Amino acid sequence: MNTIVDIVLRLACWLLLAPLLPGIINRVKAWVGGRRGPPVLQLYYDLARLWKKSVVMSTLASPAFVVLPAVAWVALLAAAMLMPLGPAGAGLSFRGDVVLMLYLLGLGRFCTAWAAMETGSAFEGMGAVREVSYAVLAEAAMVAAMLSLSVQTHSLTLTTMLSPTVGAGAVLLAAGLFIVLLAENCRVPFDDPNTHLELTMIHEVMVLDHSGPPFAVILHGASMKLLFFAVLLTQAVLPMGKLGVVSSACVLVAGVFVVTVSVGFVESLMARLAFRRVPLQLATAFLLCVFALLVAWKGGVA
Amino acid sequence: MNTSLALVVAAAGMLLGIMTGRTAARIWLITTLVGVVAAATAALSVLNGADWEWRSGFTVGGELLHLRLDGISALFMMLLCVVGGAGSVYGSEYWSEIEHPRSARSGRLWWSMLVLSMGLVLVMSNGLHFLIAWELFALSAYFLITLDRQRSEVRAAGWLYLAASHTGTLCLFAFFTSLAAQTGSWEFGPMRDQAALSPLFWLALVGFGLKAGLFPLHIWLPSAHANAPSHVSAILSGVAIKLGIYGLVRFSGWLPMPENAGTVVAILGVVSAVLGVAFALGQHDMKRLLAYHSVENIGIILIGLGFAMISVEHGNAAWGSLALAGGLLHVWNHGLFKALLFFGAGSVLHATGTREMSRLGGLWRTMPWTAGLFGLGAVAICGLPPLNGFVSEWLVYLGLFDATILHESSAWEAIPAAIALGVTGGLALACFIKVCGIVFLGAPRSEAAAHAHECGKSMRSAMCLLAGCCVAIGLAPIVFWPAIARAASTWHPAWKVVQAPESLAPLGRVHVALAVLAITAAALLWRRVKHQGLKRELTWDCGYAKPSARMQYTVGSFAGIITEWFAFILRPVRHMHRPRGPLPHDASFEEHTPETVLERVVAPFANLIMRVSLIARRLQHGHVQAYVFYVLIGLAALAAIVIAGGGK
Repeated sequence: MNTIVDIVLRLACWLLLAPLLPGIINRVKAWVGGRRGPPVLQLYYDLARLWKKSVVMSTLASPAFVVLPAVAWVALLAAAMLMPLGPAGAGLSFRGDVVLMLYLLGLGRFCTAWAAMETGSAFEGMGAVREVSYAVLAEAAMVAAMLSLSVQTHSLTLTTMLSPTVGAGAVLLAAGLFIVLLAENCRVPFDDPNTHLELTMIHEVMVLDHSGPPFAVILHGASMKLLFFAVLLTQAVLPMGKLGVVSSACVLVAGVFVVTVSVGFVESLMARLAFRRVPLQLATAFLLCVFALLVAWKGGVA
Repeated sequence: MNTSLALVVAAAGMLLGIMTGRTAARIWLITTLVGVVAAATAALSVLNGADWEWRSGFTVGGELLHLRLDGISALFMMLLCVVGGAGSVYGSEYWSEIEHPRSARSGRLWWSMLVLSMGLVLVMSNGLHFLIAWELFALSAYFLITLDRQRSEVRAAGWLYLAASHTGTLCLFAFFTSLAAQTGSWEFGPMRDQAALSPLFWLALVGFGLKAGLFPLHIWLPSAHANAPSHVSAILSGVAIKLGIYGLVRFSGWLPMPENAGTVVAILGVVSAVLGVAFALGQHDMKRLLAYHSVENIGIILIGLGFAMISVEHGNAAWGSLALAGGLLHVWNHGLFKALLFFGAGSVLHATGTREMSRLGGLWRTMPWTAGLFGLGAVAICGLPPLNGFVSEWLVYLGLFDATILHESSAWEAIPAAIALGVTGGLALACFIKVCGIVFLGAPRSEAAAHAHECGKSMRSAMCLLAGCCVAIGLAPIVFWPAIARAASTWHPAWKVVQAPESLAPLGRVHVALAVLAITAAALLWRRVKHQGLKRELTWDCGYAKPSARMQYTVGSFAGIITEWFAFILRPVRHMHRPRGPLPHDASFEEHTPETVLERVVAPFANLIMRVSLIARRLQHGHVQAYVFYVLIGLAALAAIVIAGGGK
């Protein structure tokens, strides 16, 4: 009985809270820009509206165009189930789940990029290329980051890797993971989720042809991925295991909020990078994670 | 069934196949399948029980026959049986009498010969007989590669294969003869105690490495795999190059290892993995691309093997057995999904007559089965859950992470290897999105692609069999673990039992849950879409009203970003004609990635040898007077040495 309650609560947490994050980011951007901005719950309204719409599909696309977003969404949800939530731990945890988590993100990417290629549009091809190419560097950074967490905690299980302690390289790791978060979630400076000039986009341009419920699933999945990375970043760099249950839960929520607000600030204060500089920025993230790994290696547990 | 009996049946089936291959296609297929199934039961009984061994009372070539099937050879035998069986079914339709009247008969004959000789390589336990079987295997592969020898590029690929293969065999001759000379016997078995044998490992590494196609010894592989008939490419890539791995696994376990051998193998693995997939991204030919992915996957296997060897240097650490188990499971997995992908590529070639991806597109409409099964293979080869590729890569990752965590000196090798494995995964994903997207999705780029047709039942069932194996290993890895553990524990004499990682069972359950959830979610979304109404319109394309197939992303542009990163080693050849003048009319851009190691390193070196030989040839012209003169000069030189006091 307890497990069922646990799973339901966890699902509710991931599914219901995720669309809040883009709303907060937009609010921050509006505030910095001196505008009123859309309501925080805007994405919920959008999702509800999209869910009730009919679908227009390219004549070239196969049924996979409609169903693959669902598979990508399941993959992201599965990755979220592996992610511990502060004192609550993870929904599912075993030795080596960290590798599964990385590859579930890969599965999500495969499905999205495949669906993008369905339409035979040059724009979506462009988005797919950028997504899969930059992901290579982001993946290298992620593996380095996970290795540094493993070395710190002598563990291969996300629950132990993330909650109790924090290593000496936390600042480096935070910087590296934050850049990866921006790149993986297609935020400024890698991508601009608000622009409507398709030549400059990654994620948005991949989903140009999607509409109706599949598009709702894609948007929801994207917000879940953002929440996922925010939770990962917060737990990787804050020593929450030393706090009590309530306070660590509060710290987690506060951390995710800070990360989200920072994304909003970065988006308001920075311009998008020229595309040829994106790999350099990601290489920086990779190096930061490698340095964090070296610090963890030489410094042991703080 | 008794193992000996099963093997006799298998050999008889194969021999009957060889005899009937030229005349009776149906009998050939049945006998081959019976042989393959019998060999599979033999392999299975060894994987579940004790080793099988047999010594003859008579000699062949002056040596007693010594056959042995142990955990490792049974593992490879199993793969040979599955791919060999599926390939015979596929080939009977793909390379049929009607379409290839000149070569279908010899194709069947050499196919049985190839499967038989590969089986012989696996059971031979005497160096001399091993070499005979190896040579038989190399030659039958040559005849299969050149089945379509009217085409000049097929002949060129065949020659290159033959030359590379024989260079490897030369090393193996040196290896086995030195082994026989130093141990006093042609028979081989565990001989870790004789430290003097350790330098011989380098000979084995080159000899078997040439067959396995590790970078930079892969030069023969892309053209041979691309130009062979597709069922042959499948068995070459799925099984034949694995025999190189078999040799390496066998002798790295039995021979005493020279210092740093494990590190060298792991470095070769990392280089093969990353550069293999980088070269694959630059290819425009579907089968060449798949061939480069073989280099990549051989790299992943070698990373596993290399770290197992390193762990032996570190007192048989447990992470080594995980890495080796991952590598060995990847042998199976790569054999299965690569054969599946080559079968898929073969169906495309069969239906459209071209391997050029830039002339394909939109094939899912006419070939839904091939597209779906190829897509499944693509997910598997990218190492994505819930299929088999992920299970083996996960095991290798566990080994590497454990080696890092233990904080020993081995971590310095494990860290870059783990990161390289991650990068390889990302690159493979990019590459297979490219293949699937360009070939199966979007709009057809040529008439041939628009009028393709689905492959027939035999080809389809062979693909379904392999896809089923990929799914099964992915969803229930724990069922296949005992076989892998059995092989891993036979690798090194000191490794008695290889424990299953305790999280393998949960991983399998997660895979099942993931598959069920994904299918359910997909079905629910599809229902919702149907319920809300589905309309078909032109691709949006930002309002452009008349999109054409030529406006799609192309092969070259898809790989552009990544090939640019690797341009320093890929050396892509570009021909650009920019639009010029105030009223420009024509412009063009063309890019292809050559086999850089072959064209920039091996070919110039070979040319140099040719030039030196041509000069040397002038000395030999058939004039007896001049030869007498050489003798005189030689004598004079000797006399000069003696007079100068050099003779003491």
